[in-house]
Amino acid sequence: MILRAEAVTKRFDDRPVLSGASLSLEPGQVVHLVGPNGSGKTTFARIVATLLPPDDGEILVDDVPVSERRPQTRRAIGFASHAPLLYLALTPVENLEFFARLSGSRDGRRRALELLERFGLEQAAHRPIAHFSRGMLQRVVLCRALLNDPELLILDEPYAGLDDAGVLAVNQVLAEIRKRGRTALLIAHDKERGGGVITRTVRLRNGRVEEQT
Amino acid sequence: MTFLVVMRKDLRLFVRDARFLATLGLFSASLVLILSVAFGPVFTEPAREAAATVWAALFFAGVLGLTRSLELEGESGAGDALRLSGADPFALYLGKTLANFALLAAVFLLLLPLTAIFYDVGTLRELPGVLGVAALALIGYSAWGTLFAALARGLQARELLLSVLLFPSLVPIWIGAVKLTHAYWGGAPVAEVKDWLKVMAVMDVLGLALAAWLYEAVEEAGE
Repeated sequence: MILRAEAVTKRFDDRPVLSGASLSLEPGQVVHLVGPNGSGKTTFARIVATLLPPDDGEILVDDVPVSERRPQTRRAIGFASHAPLLYLALTPVENLEFFARLSGSRDGRRRALELLERFGLEQAAHRPIAHFSRGMLQRVVLCRALLNDPELLILDEPYAGLDDAGVLAVNQVLAEIRKRGRTALLIAHDKERGGGVITRTVRLRNGRVEEQT
Repeated sequence: MTFLVVMRKDLRLFVRDARFLATLGLFSASLVLILSVAFGPVFTEPAREAAATVWAALFFAGVLGLTRSLELEGESGAGDALRLSGADPFALYLGKTLANFALLAAVFLLLLPLTAIFYDVGTLRELPGVLGVAALALIGYSAWGTLFAALARGLQARELLLSVLLFPSLVPIWIGAVKLTHAYWGGAPVAEVKDWLKVMAVMDVLGLALAAWLYEAVEEAGE
């Protein structure tokens, strides 16, 4: 899947956040998006994830406007952001099984348990996530993002709250994405993040995406 | 079946929120008690007053339930995850509507015996008729309410907007429910008001059809 953002603009209350941001995400790439606070990284990620419509410009998936194939595109995207996008009163297994079944998976429970084990959460798999620490919650968020074995993984500050083992797990996920010829968009302040698998770094400056050398 | 998966999830969330359930139960029971005191102690037309009481209480309790239902998707951004699942938007709507229907039906089953005791109305003989009226009314309430709850999500005055939208839209359903319940409880011949069943059924179908047409656009415009 090749996803292209073309000349995307977005304003909030007349304040321009994105002013013609363009970016192409191709298979095998792990793209690191950097930029100062308030530069529009999260807004850009939400637009790429099809959660937020741009005011102008468009998102193309394999040269087809995303609006023409929204459900398929969404099923192919894994998205982890600041907000957990989970039901806090449910357990990790219940959350993951629910979202897996929504996406049409018949063995959602098995996939959920597999991911929870991978992120070291098997002991907490049946406890409501409302009382989880930030780091534990972040691991469940990552499990949800990986649930459908996404072709494009968008991680917005995935390292927040994670311990060393969690950071390592994220980096392993990114390495696997690259190895399998899939795509990842990583938004993280720390330039050292990514565990050496980043193929390209871009910066959001003045609402536009610039290549970094 | 996507809608069943969504319905089960919403019901599970309702059941785990003991504080919400307690508030809903106490609030609706209190309304029946207050209205029965206001109309009493000697009821001039118990069937009419009882019908008005049970449906007024259910309307206000329903707003509380629908508000909670829309909060479920707002908390922690879970609504975004629903959209990202790529599931059919109408199936998501249907699941939420069925969960809201089940919640409102539970409230009705709590209020029905309370109202019957306070006003001394109703017997087991007319119970199927009253339950049928309730089913028609609650399908409409859930169908329109779930759509409007989605419309109000993300707005600051969402509870206010929900009530403002719901009340005028549901007037035909409330009038039908009150008139038919009144008739079944012996206040008037049922044959005289049975046309309201058709009005309620049309409102139910209209609510569901409108949602089938608009729900996806409403969800996508929520940002």
